Amino acid sequence: MRAATAIIGAGTTEVGRYPDRTVTDLASEAVTRALADAGIARREVDGLVVHIGAPRGLDYDEAAALLGLDVRFASQTWSHGRFAATVVHHAAMAVASGMADVVLCLGAYRNSNLGQIGGRNSWGYEETLRPGGGPHSEAPFAGFNGPVAAAAMAAQRYFHVHGGDREKLAAVPLAFRAHAARNPAARHRKPITEAEYGASPFIVEPLRLLDCSAVVDGAVALLVTRADRARSAPAPVWLLGMQGLSAGPRQFIFGQPGLGIGQAADAAWDWPGGDQPAYRMAGIGPDAVDLVQVYDAFSPLALFSLERLGHCRPGEALDFVQGGRIGPAGALPVNTSGGMLSEGHLNGWSQMMEMVRQLRGAAGERQVPGARIAQWGTSLGDQLILGAEGTA
Amino acid sequence: MTALIVAVEVPADPSGLLPPVTSDTAPFWNGLAQGELRLQGCDACNKARWPVSPVCPHCGAPGGTFRTLSGRGTVFSWVRYHRSYLPEFDPLLPYVSATVLLSEGPRLPARLRDLNGDPTIGQPVELAVEHWPGGRHVATFRPAEAP
Repeated sequence: MRAATAIIGAGTTEVGRYPDRTVTDLASEAVTRALADAGIARREVDGLVVHIGAPRGLDYDEAAALLGLDVRFASQTWSHGRFAATVVHHAAMAVASGMADVVLCLGAYRNSNLGQIGGRNSWGYEETLRPGGGPHSEAPFAGFNGPVAAAAMAAQRYFHVHGGDREKLAAVPLAFRAHAARNPAARHRKPITEAEYGASPFIVEPLRLLDCSAVVDGAVALLVTRADRARSAPAPVWLLGMQGLSAGPRQFIFGQPGLGIGQAADAAWDWPGGDQPAYRMAGIGPDAVDLVQVYDAFSPLALFSLERLGHCRPGEALDFVQGGRIGPAGALPVNTSGGMLSEGHLNGWSQMMEMVRQLRGAAGERQVPGARIAQWGTSLGDQLILGAEGTA
Repeated sequence: MTALIVAVEVPADPSGLLPPVTSDTAPFWNGLAQGELRLQGCDACNKARWPVSPVCPHCGAPGGTFRTLSGRGTVFSWVRYHRSYLPEFDPLLPYVSATVLLSEGPRLPARLRDLNGDPTIGQPVELAVEHWPGGRHVATFRPAEAP
């Protein structure tokens, strides 16, 4: 599957808060821009994969009907951010198998009107009452609710197991804010200091306000097609490596196997380093990656993701991220547009867009010089490895 | 072990906090009403498990039989709520919610009660069943002497 498919068009709204715009309007802007970017007609799109549907997003059937997409392949994932890369995986599989020629991947969201995420009165609360626990291991009868608490529970265990000064976690939000300072569209751009981090109030201890992302509204559309067609596109970005997200009794949404709650008791993690399907498919190792995007809904997730991606060993991420290594001009820039913590939480899609920009050399002031390989990954182990023109 | 059952007034209206009692989970909830922690044990490998499931997460054997556990364990991890996420628990803020590593192996989410300061990971705890307004019983844990 290496370079069997490529992204030939990408379009986005600016991330932001749009109380007066509908999700349909946001989606339409992104789709129209993606089509123009690829230089193809709307009628050429014959596949559609939607990430999150109503009420946050736009369901696939409404998207197809309202946006004038006449498709022969359509699917949609569950209403949680974890499936951003999976949407692209589905698109690549559909075109590689011949079930579609050009698949539109759509992430469109109104997040800013959801109220307190994970709160008692917010959308989706009823999911937390599933008999096996909520989507982030919520257990309201145990007073345990909100995705932030799941990240906090994993972080507390991580600090206990691996030691280290937990105030050093500040390096993550500080680095992403430094990237955001170079992104005019980012929600939060003012640099933050370690002292400001230390004074930031606890939300769910040990996590502070500055460990939490800020939700935003917006839409991103990507067009995926086969290699033979992509070669004639103006600026293809190649899908070099892919790896699905993991699930099962040893997996936890916001942590390594072994860290979180709701797992089988003997959960343990055999760290794979660079020996992972996505790297094998791409024919590269972690050292070849020029920039990384991780699902940083909460700052500890950046640590867990960097370990899971094989960039550092278990327990080493807290030291790995110090000294500006993941910031602008660092050895491994991470979340180069500011990530969910500072650019804003668009369920992973602003980061998909950022990878395309970086690999086209179109990221402006925050361009990673000579970026050839960009990587997406989460603490659940899913990956995308994207290559610039010429890497196929 | 039969645990202490404590009648509490918070949460005053717990109707939105409790998953429905199903044919799968009734033995767990009914056990708590008796002051007992009952979880499934695997008929093949004998390991206890949580949550209730039709297949053993350890060996893959289907089935399983509810058994009464010791109600003892240690703190595996914990968090403290400084903001309200469930208004039903607001009178308890800031309260501690934990992952308890049961002596028999499973990890159970539960509030910690009767704490004196911060809990510590590895600290021994024991079951303390809360009898909530409305009649349901819920597992919490409190500090225990080391066994």
